[in-house]
Amino acid sequence: MSGTREIKNRINSVRDTQKITNAMYLISSTKLRKARKQLEDTEPYFFAMQSTIQRLLRHLPDLDSIYLDEGEDVPEDKKVTAVLVITADKGLAGAYNHNVIRGLDELMKTKRHAKLFVVGEVGRHYFDVHKIPIEETFKYTAQNPSLHRARMITEKLLELYQSREIHELYIQYTSMKNSMESESVGAKLLPLKTGIESVHIPSEVPQEEFIMSPSPEDVVNNVLPNYITGYIYSALVESFCSEQNSRMLAMQSANKSANDILHDLSIQYNRVRQSIITQEITEVSSGAKAIRREN
Amino acid sequence: MAELFYIRIIASDKVFYEGKVQAFVGTTMDGEFEFLAHHEEEIVALNVGTFRYKDAEGNWIKAVSGLGVAQYANNRCTILVDTCEKPEDIDRKRAQAALERAREQIRQNRSQAEYYVAQASLARALTRLKETFASSGKGPRL
Repeated sequence: MSGTREIKNRINSVRDTQKITNAMYLISSTKLRKARKQLEDTEPYFFAMQSTIQRLLRHLPDLDSIYLDEGEDVPEDKKVTAVLVITADKGLAGAYNHNVIRGLDELMKTKRHAKLFVVGEVGRHYFDVHKIPIEETFKYTAQNPSLHRARMITEKLLELYQSREIHELYIQYTSMKNSMESESVGAKLLPLKTGIESVHIPSEVPQEEFIMSPSPEDVVNNVLPNYITGYIYSALVESFCSEQNSRMLAMQSANKSANDILHDLSIQYNRVRQSIITQEITEVSSGAKAIRREN
Repeated sequence: MAELFYIRIIASDKVFYEGKVQAFVGTTMDGEFEFLAHHEEEIVALNVGTFRYKDAEGNWIKAVSGLGVAQYANNRCTILVDTCEKPEDIDRKRAQAALERAREQIRQNRSQAEYYVAQASLARALTRLKETFASSGKGPRL
């Protein structure tokens, strides 16, 4: 008898879990739709900005800007690298958070001194547990990325960069390869010269001369912070989008395996119930037979 | 009729305008500038303020923008700004609230970085408000 009750309990608990995973699936798919819209909206800006920066760097006369120079005055082993890590606020998103941290490990191999700026609760928790120091005052959520938040983050990082507390700035985020796949990306934001690979132009192509107004310094100082903000904003949006995507996929497969378990359990339940009934019938009929024989 | 050139105005959250125009007037740190067709190759840093363009039919269209950059090359112009709105789309209450918030932050004046952020948002809020009031004909309450 206890066999059926145990199976019944198991079925009920799987059903309850499935209700939760199903709800999470629905939530993340609506959020994903919103995030994807946002991503599509910001993509033209992002690409245009990147081509503008490349063009700007190609045509830029030699000028001293801390955004461009490689910091040769600081020896390689004294350089402090800041990494902006974008993780999710919650787990249950498949391998999403894990991949970000693995990508970060890859990036950190070559860096001597690093400061971590973590967006998202899961990442903060991970570094806490593993006793890896992070910037404690840097608290931003990964939910619903906004331009305002990107601006705040940029301002904070640029302030450190301008005061030479950090000499390099990297960003570790997740980019959507297509609607099914995403990959963790580590990119260099500052200083810029080596951050963007230059396009090789054959020498016979006539090069336009650009005038920079009001002055090249003004253009660089105006555009670069804006470029960093734009980059961080789209990294936030893209990571949020990937997070929802991988959560949706994880919940979808959780739903599927819940269905499989329910299917197996119900077969098992029916078998046990059937065998109990069969056993009862055998007992009754053999009992009846025994009584008939006695008479 | 004036010659046309191709322009793309892109904000970080949308493509604001894409098409042929007769002229584009933007704001830099030291005043306004204008692009006409066949302008020479130039990159201009845009300040927080307003810009306007004259479309193919000759109507001036005005917009409020944040920081950005304009580049003119091969008779095509690309404008990249972080934010960009038409005056009639601006939510006046939100802009007023943003103005007050920015003033509050400037008063607290905590760190230099925060001061710059607050100053920038003050500039954005002020331009927004100025334009909404200018388009409705009433004077601003600043």
